[in-house]
Amino acid sequence: MNTEPRLLHDLLDRAAERDPHTPFLSFRDQATGLGELADTSTRIAHHLRARGVRRADRVVVRTGNPLAAVSALFAVSRVGGVFSLLHESVRDGALSHVLKDCEPAVVVCDTDEAEDEATAGGADFLTTDELLGTDGGPARAPAPAGSGHDRALEVDPVCMIYTSGTTSRPKAVVSTHQQVLFSARAIQRRLSYRSDDTVYCPLPVSFDYGLYQVYLVLLAGARLRFGTAAESGPPLLRSLVESGATVLAGVPAVSDRLAWLAARTEHRPTSLRLLTNTGAALSEKTVASLRSSLPGLRVQVMYGLTECKRATIMPPDGDLDHPGSCGLPLDGTEVFVTGPDGERLPPGETGQIVVRGPNVMAGYWRREELTAERFHRRDGLFPELRTGDYGWQDEDGYLYFDGRRDDIYKERGFRVSATEVEAAAHRVDGVTSAIVLPPEGRSPAQLAVIAAIPREEVLVRMRAEIEEYKIPRVCTRFDDLPTNGNGKVDRKRLARLISAGRGRD
Amino acid sequence: MQRNDVTKALETALSEALEREVADLDGGVRLFDDLHLDSTSMLEVLMGLEESIGLEVAPEDLEIEAFESVDTLTDFVLAATRPAAV
Repeated sequence: MNTEPRLLHDLLDRAAERDPHTPFLSFRDQATGLGELADTSTRIAHHLRARGVRRADRVVVRTGNPLAAVSALFAVSRVGGVFSLLHESVRDGALSHVLKDCEPAVVVCDTDEAEDEATAGGADFLTTDELLGTDGGPARAPAPAGSGHDRALEVDPVCMIYTSGTTSRPKAVVSTHQQVLFSARAIQRRLSYRSDDTVYCPLPVSFDYGLYQVYLVLLAGARLRFGTAAESGPPLLRSLVESGATVLAGVPAVSDRLAWLAARTEHRPTSLRLLTNTGAALSEKTVASLRSSLPGLRVQVMYGLTECKRATIMPPDGDLDHPGSCGLPLDGTEVFVTGPDGERLPPGETGQIVVRGPNVMAGYWRREELTAERFHRRDGLFPELRTGDYGWQDEDGYLYFDGRRDDIYKERGFRVSATEVEAAAHRVDGVTSAIVLPPEGRSPAQLAVIAAIPREEVLVRMRAEIEEYKIPRVCTRFDDLPTNGNGKVDRKRLARLISAGRGRD
Repeated sequence: MQRNDVTKALETALSEALEREVADLDGGVRLFDDLHLDSTSMLEVLMGLEESIGLEVAPEDLEIEAFESVDTLTDFVLAATRPAAV
C-alpha cells in the first residue's frame, strides 16, 4: 500500500515492509528489526484482544525496557486502544493516581509488585514477560478479525502522556492517531533524519521526547539506540562512538555533558552530525564549546510542550543568525503571542505563546475545565493552545522563550510543577507544611518544610509519592515559615533564610 | 595518592553533587541505586574530582563499570591518578 499511514501502527507496518531485517531499535545488548517488531506487536495485540481489551480501552505500561514498551504501544494501537507509558519511578501513590485517573483495562509492569493495586481497580495485570509471551502464556491466542467495527479511526485517541501542570496531580494529555502522525511528520520535515542515521536517545521512552524518536526514525528509515542513564552519564562519548551515533537527541544536561567530555579528548565521536536540544535553553557556552570540539556537528534547538508535542524548531545552526531563539513554527501550524485580552501582539512584545494547528492535541483526560482553559476554542469552535509559556517573536517570526508566569518550572530540562511537589511533600506522614522555591540562576529548586521527621527522611519518603526527578535535591526544615501581611508564605524571605542557613536543619 | 585520600575526595565531591553530607561510605555502596546519583550528578562528581585532586579523565576510557559502586569508582580514580609509568 502506498497510502500515507493513518493509524499509528501503519507507520511501523510501512517501515517494516520497506526494511524488515536491519536492526532498528537497540537497548543494552538487545536489538530488534522492524519485521520482528511488527510481528511481536501483532502477537501482543492478539493477546490483548483475547484478554478482552477493546477499542478505546486504556493500557498502562511501566517498563524499563524500551523495546518492550515500543512493542506494547504498537500492539495497543492495533487493538484501537490508548497506551500510557509510565516512567519506572512512577510507583505507589503516583501509580495509584494514574490507575484511578485513567481506569485502564490492562496494567503491564516489569515486576508483579503492583499487581494487587492494579487488580483492585478492576484492571487485568501482566508482567512485561507475560506480555511479550516469553513466559509461555496464552500469547498465541487465535486472532479475531482486526478489521471491521473495532478498527480505530484516525480521530480516535491512541496515546496518553501524564504531565505536570498547575494541578496537584499530573494529568494526561490525550493524542489521536492523526495528531501524533501529523506532529511526527512535521518534526521530521524539519530535522530531516536520514536513512543512514543512528539516533542516540539518552531519555526513556516514557518521556514524549524519547517516544517521538521512535516515530521519527520509522519515518526516516533510520536506527535508534536507547541509552541507559548509566551509559549516558560519564561514558556518554564512548556510548556515542560504540553505537555509531550520528544524531544525539539531547536536553541541556546531556548537551552540557557532551561539551565537557568532548573538550577533554582527541577521540571524538566524529560521525555525530546533529545535536537536537529541547527541554530548556542551551547555554551559549555549551554550544560554542561543542562547535570548537566537534566542528562537523550541527545544532538544532527546539521548543514545545506535550500539549502540542513540538511548537518551534530552529534551522540547523540557526542560533548563529538568531541567537537565543527557539526557532520557527512547524509547517502547517501557527505560533503567535497574545496580550492579556487575547489580542495578538506585534513583534518584539512579550506575551503568552499560543499554538494553532493539527499538532495541538485533543486535551486533558477527564479535565473539562482545564482543557477548556488551555485548549481554548476561539469562537467556541477552533482550538488554540494557550501554552502558559511567555515569550516574543522577531520580525522574521522566530520565537524567543521568556519563561512562565505560574508555578511550573524546568529543572534539568524536565517540567516540574511546584504545586505537585508541594502536594507530594504534604502527603508524607510527619510533614505539616511544604513550600517549593523554583530554581533561580544556578541554584536548584529548594524544598522548605515544617516536619516532625528529619529533612533527609522527607526527601526519601517523597519517592513513594512522585517521580524522583521531580523531588528537589535540597530540603530545609523550619519551625515556622515566614509569612507576609496576607498570611501567605513570604517566598523572598524564605529564600534568604535558606541561603543564610537559618533553617532548623 | 593513597586510597584514603581518594575516598575523602570522593565523599567531598559526592556531597557537592548531591547537596547533602556524604561521609563514612562503605565501599559496596552503589552510586545509582543507593546514593541516587543520576547521569548528571555523576558527571558533577568527576568535575569535582578534577578540581580537588587534579583527576584527568580520558572520556574514551570512561566505562559504566567504573560507576557502579564507591569501590569501583575509587579503583578507577586511583588508576587514573597513578603516574603514567606502568
